[in-house]
Amino acid sequence: MPLRPARIGRVGVVGAPVAKAAVVTAAVTPGPSPVAKAAVVGAAVTPGRRRRI
Amino acid sequence: MSEYDLSELGPVDYLVVEFPEGQQNFTGEIAEELVRLAEAGTIRVIDILILVKDADGNVDAMELSDAGDLGALVQLETELAELLAADDVEHLAYAMNPGSVAGVLVYENLWAAPFASATRRAGGQLIANGRIPIQAIIASIEADDELETTGA
Repeated sequence: MPLRPARIGRVGVVGAPVAKAAVVTAAVTPGPSPVAKAAVVGAAVTPGRRRRI
Repeated sequence: MSEYDLSELGPVDYLVVEFPEGQQNFTGEIAEELVRLAEAGTIRVIDILILVKDADGNVDAMELSDAGDLGALVQLETELAELLAADDVEHLAYAMNPGSVAGVLVYENLWAAPFASATRRAGGQLIANGRIPIQAIIASIEADDELETTGA
């Protein structure tokens, strides 16, 4: 299917080839308990967690 | 775009979602959720393209209107701004694996617009932004846990 004519010859807005991002599901599926891992991530972004310096 | 005051424009992002061959399960749920986000005023959908990369790496780009039954997306389709140019297709498809289909979504973060405007009025300039991958969060937590366990 061709693109609409308005898209042809215009300057693009994505400046360069985009790199493939890491696949998110790959981060939460490995390990003995993906659910537990997801809970840990949730805890990490929960208010009240303080950084250790 | 002329009806929008640029100083009130929210951040505009894009995402490319790949559907690998053999793992595609389109039920209409994505469209429904996208419409929900737009109707709630969370985002404004600016552009949508569908990209297909064949086994040899050749890319075909489709307008949303050519994608068949649009279902819940009919209204959104009529309001697309067609921001992406043909030149963008190659750049966006670069990340795709051969044999996959991808949806490209360009959207304005309406939820962030008032905050961004207020920041600009206060003299602020965005000098960095980005996304923290979940992998990085997990790695940070696991490093923390390791530290607590070993005391190292």
